[in-house]
Amino acid sequence: MTSKNDALVKKDRLRFTKNKLSSSLTLLAIVFNALYFVCIYKSDVGSYYYQYMMGISVVYNLLFMLIAFLASEGVKSYKLNYSYVLVLLGLGQIIRIFILPMDATRAIVTLSGEEEVVMGSGQFTRICVYLISSAALCIIAGVIAFYKTRTLSAYQAELDRKNMPV
Amino acid sequence: MSSLKLQHLDKIYENNVQAVFDFNLDVNDGELIVLVGPSGCGKSTTLRMVAGLEDISGGKLIIDGKDVTAMPPKDRDIAMVFQNYALYGHMTIYENMAFSLMLRKENKNEIHQKVLAAADILGLTDQLNKKPSQLSGGQRQRVAMGRAIVRTPKVFLFDEPLSNLDAKLRGATRREILLLHKRLNATMLYVTHDQTEALTLADRIVCMSMGHVQQIGTPLELYDSPANLFVAGFIGLPPMNFFDVEVKNGQLVCEDFTEELTADEKAALREYEGRQITLGVRPENIIEGGNICVRVFSNENLGQTTLVNGTMKKHKITCKFREWCNYKAGDEVMVSFNRKHFFDKETTQAIRLG
Repeated sequence: MTSKNDALVKKDRLRFTKNKLSSSLTLLAIVFNALYFVCIYKSDVGSYYYQYMMGISVVYNLLFMLIAFLASEGVKSYKLNYSYVLVLLGLGQIIRIFILPMDATRAIVTLSGEEEVVMGSGQFTRICVYLISSAALCIIAGVIAFYKTRTLSAYQAELDRKNMPV
Repeated sequence: MSSLKLQHLDKIYENNVQAVFDFNLDVNDGELIVLVGPSGCGKSTTLRMVAGLEDISGGKLIIDGKDVTAMPPKDRDIAMVFQNYALYGHMTIYENMAFSLMLRKENKNEIHQKVLAAADILGLTDQLNKKPSQLSGGQRQRVAMGRAIVRTPKVFLFDEPLSNLDAKLRGATRREILLLHKRLNATMLYVTHDQTEALTLADRIVCMSMGHVQQIGTPLELYDSPANLFVAGFIGLPPMNFFDVEVKNGQLVCEDFTEELTADEKAALREYEGRQITLGVRPENIIEGGNICVRVFSNENLGQTTLVNGTMKKHKITCKFREWCNYKAGDEVMVSFNRKHFFDKETTQAIRLG
């Protein structure tokens, strides 16, 4: 009985509290993305790796941070669409591992007659950790937001039904 | 809820200015005490000493039998409502009310239930998701009260909570505080300079002046039997009229009138025979008809009553008549006094009838 009551109070609390958990997780995802952003362009072999993909990567990073920030505010106010956005952003972060980082780690450049790896395995691992963390946080934030928003909507509808004049 | 004892409290600031002198008060469980007095009389300082916001220079403060004189504010289990509300502008009303409990790391579900209960008492349930800037002054003050209620403190302190509200809202909020007190049966200490608030809210009033307690008593006691000239002049609106009179052969004599004393009054004033005393008469104790001539200089109709300001040969006088009057400046009206208060001219203390 008590746990049932607790569950009800927990639901009722959603009416007056913001979804700070999802919002905070999303902000943390942005932080991990920023770490990725800082590390990805470091190369021990000078200017080899300048190419169009880097420009696209920079633009995507900026877009990611902007959209993720908007989503963090959206999920805070229980807007369902932003939970989908967060899941998509998370999937995007995983896909990104297979584009620029994978490309760079496979690339080999010949300098002064010697072959050099563009991105060492240490840097690659670190970058993967950042992207996976960012992705995981986005997806978890999105799922929590989805669950809480649906719960709140259902509870609100139930309250409205009870208060509806006969 | 609990009792509160203030024993010989003194407040001396670092520059040796003494703001409160030997303050003694026993507040019973569930009592609403109002500290009233003009600005600078030490009432807010006393309240802040109780709250722990000011150090106590001398004396003891006892809450529920426990000496809390040296205890920090957070450990005294006291909630204070300020004049300027002191709400967090970036938080919703719900968050404002829940904040102190969150800091104490209380169970979130319990916090929720306490906030909803307080909001229900104060009629704020529909406002919980709003920010303070979206509420009216009265609603903000209710939020401030709600923040105090959720903590279920031992003592509530109110520091001029209605001063920022307009007259109409002040009246409504005052009634809400009174209902709240009845509902919670809480021990409350309330500071105001507004005597209407003091008279309407208090179980007992503490009237202060220049850091000294002038009188402690029920509103009726302060109104009906003021201890001295200060209380007599401060309590009551319009204030009491004062006349310098001489006690002479069983009469009160001054340039403006001669009043016959009753047997009780004669007995009480026997030792003042041939001496000057101060006679106090409330405006509402002056009635039309009699042998005292007043020359009217203004006539203020207030609906149910009329305030007539006038002069006599020496003194000015304010009369409060129950009916609608239409006196014009220069008119002469004959009046008499149906209730008198006497004060020793030297000590300013009241002379009690036997």
